Amino acid sequence: MDTLYQSLVTVNPVTLIAQICNLFIQLLIVKIFFLDKIKAVLDKRREAADKQIADAEAAKSEAAAIKQTYEENMRQAKAKADDLILSAQKTASQRGEEIISQAQQQAAQFKSKASADIALEKKKAINDAKNEISDLAMAIAGKVVERELSSADQDGMIDRFIEELGDGK
Amino acid sequence: MEVEINGARILATIENVPIFGTVQITQTLVVSWLILVLISALFIWLGSGLKVTGISRKQAVAETIYTSLVNFVRGNMGPDFDRYIPLVGTIFITSIVSNLISLVGIWSPTADLMTELAWALVVFVLITYHKIKASGIGGYLKGFLDPIFILAPINVMSELFTPISMACRHFGNILSGTVISSLIYAALVAANNALFHLLGSSMYVALAVTAVGLIPMVIGILKKKKKLMIPGIIVTVLGVLAILTCLGIRYPWLTIGIPAIPSLYFDWFSGCIQAFIFCTLTTLFIKQAAGE
Repeated sequence: MDTLYQSLVTVNPVTLIAQICNLFIQLLIVKIFFLDKIKAVLDKRREAADKQIADAEAAKSEAAAIKQTYEENMRQAKAKADDLILSAQKTASQRGEEIISQAQQQAAQFKSKASADIALEKKKAINDAKNEISDLAMAIAGKVVERELSSADQDGMIDRFIEELGDGK
Repeated sequence: MEVEINGARILATIENVPIFGTVQITQTLVVSWLILVLISALFIWLGSGLKVTGISRKQAVAETIYTSLVNFVRGNMGPDFDRYIPLVGTIFITSIVSNLISLVGIWSPTADLMTELAWALVVFVLITYHKIKASGIGGYLKGFLDPIFILAPINVMSELFTPISMACRHFGNILSGTVISSLIYAALVAANNALFHLLGSSMYVALAVTAVGLIPMVIGILKKKKKLMIPGIIVTVLGVLAILTCLGIRYPWLTIGIPAIPSLYFDWFSGCIQAFIFCTLTTLFIKQAAGE
């Protein structure tokens, strides 16, 4: 059989048009079944990655907000504690001063009462002593002098005596 | 001997087709359809079963192809021309497969100027579209009168020669590869005939050659000397082939293996680099047209 050949360099419009058609058919197939699909997958993957990053950033900012609130709370608590301690100290020192002043007052009261008591006792003792001395003096005088004295003279004389005695002290 | 280098074989001729008249179904067309089916099958397979996470090895390859294609187009054209990614990718893969299919003994569609001219015409239409879009139809036509009106014919020619030169560059490289491969093949057949006409003239010569080869080969293998061993093996093989020729078994032995060495450059390297150049020019011309 005779094989027919085209010449080496030839212009064949049918081949030309067919090859243009082939190119576009090939282009469509490659685009629809390969490029578009891969692009969709890569886009989806990028979206997922972006979403993860966004989520991570959201979580981070949330954590920062929580941390800020916590720190704020801590600061408030500390301030409150400081206040409490301060006021407690103040109360305590006030109370202490009060107690001291009360104690001092009481002590002063006790002291004055005691000195009053002492004065009273002294007076009482003096009076007792006075009476006893007068009785004693009467007895001594009665015995020594052996004269009767009117009771009035007696009393006046004894009183004078006592007073001289007291002054002489 | 005669070396005949032809164009595509005409497989069928259909007469009286409306509009076209006589239509010749050539090897170019049939192989192009074959390649169309091959590439489509490959890419449909690559593009199937894609997942967002936990990807397969196949998908990794597919994504690498896609990413390098996108990087190539964006690197040459910038980020505003993403819609030409499919075109550039299609031309590239079709060109590569068309160039390399000759390695398995099938006619390269790219050894037919019409294939490259078809692609170049599409690119030419895009170039013109972008030029008109960039400066308006008036500005586009006015551009031909630049810098002075006398140069208008030369400007028109330079415009028209853009696709022609693109097509011819690609075509010429592939064709030259085919031509040189044919020449080398023919030369090897001639050398083969001459060599075995001499060596295979009588059984004595053939046996003598085999013996001459066997001695250094055996010594080389025993003493582990490659300088003796390799020439020994070559001469022995020649001797054995000469014996076969004497026995009436004839074949152009030298054409086995040896053409693969120049084919590394003329088919593999040239085939890949021409596809790359064609696509680079496509992107650069379109970018240039849109930029002006």
